[in-house]
Parts: sequence; structure tokens; C-alpha cells
Amino acid sequence: MVDVPAEEKEFMSDVLDLLASVPATGDDPATQRLQVPVYLDDPEANSEWWLFMGEELSMARAADRNVYRRVMETDGKLELTTEEADAVLRVLNEGRLALGARFGLEVEADHDQLPDEQRQVLDFLGWVLEELTVALTTAL
Amino acid sequence: MAYVVYVFRKLFGYDTEKATRLMLQVHFDGRARVSDGSREKAEVDCYRLHGHGLWATMEQ
Repeated sequence: MVDVPAEEKEFMSDVLDLLASVPATGDDPATQRLQVPVYLDDPEANSEWWLFMGEELSMARAADRNVYRRVMETDGKLELTTEEADAVLRVLNEGRLALGARFGLEVEADHDQLPDEQRQVLDFLGWVLEELTVALTTAL
Repeated sequence: MAYVVYVFRKLFGYDTEKATRLMLQVHFDGRARVSDGSREKAEVDCYRLHGHGLWATMEQ
């Protein structure tokens, strides 16, 4: 059962806008982080993997975001299946990664060097991610 | 970090101890071997990990 307070829901909905702003290709740090290479020493194999698996990944991420959107657009409590809750978890994590990349985070130590506002945003998303993870862990 | 442990447990069926050990290995060493098998299996595992936002690479 999910019941996200309205003010938090408004903020968390911004994750979808953030992810929608990430280009599919290019030098955007968020793009680079969400499409990290699978074959580090074989560019050809890596391109092939992303050619076949990349589209599947994009479709899966889009499906997750649809679940996330439904949660954010629903007033009051909403009962989710474990899989739907997992989708919310993945979107939160994806958003946090994209945001961190755009903030210039490369190693954990960078976190403490961020401006307060940026650090607080990441910390909030991290907290929500942690809370939902703990709840889902009991279902394993 | 709880998220990484959760993903390892969910995707690979590892118990909490093993999943946590692997997570800590990633945290401190920068990497951990979380799965092995055929190339096809490994590519699918990479896909599943990437789907959860975890950076996975292939290695022989």
C-alpha cells in the first residue's frame, strides 16, 4: 500500500520530467550514466549489445515510468503489486543516478561537496529509495 | 546500499549475507563478480542489472 503525501508526490513527479529530458544519445552526463558500456574492451561487442538489449531496456524503463506516473497521479492510497513497487523503485534509482550524473557526481566523496540544495534533493530521493527497498525486502 | 543488496537477492537468489558481501566488495573495491556462466547468460544478467540501474560489465 502506497500513500505518498501531496507535497512529496509533486516533488517525486519531477523525476519523470528529469528522465524525459535525458537524451537517448550524446554527451549528457545522465545519458552516459544510464547507458554505461557492457563490454569495456570490445567496442564492437558493446555496440552490438546496446543495439539488441538497448531497445529492450528502453521499453522496460518506459513501462516502469508508466507505473510510477500512475502512482504519482493517484490521490490517496494505492495498492501495488510487488512488481509495480519494484518499478517505482527502479524509476527512483534511475532518477537519482541521472540527477547525480548531472550534478557531477563521479565518486561517493563528491556527494559532500555538492551545494546544499543539490545534496538535499539527492538525499531525499535516496531516503525514499531506502524506505521502499526495506519494505520490499520483507517480501523476498 | 540496501537497494544494491535487494537487487542481488532478487535477481540471483543470494541470501542476505552473500548479497551484502558482494555489495561491500563493489563499494570498497569498485567491482564484484556477481554472476558467471555462458556468454548468453552473462549478457542477460547484464541486462537485468542495467535494468535496475546497476553498472554491469562482461568479462571472460
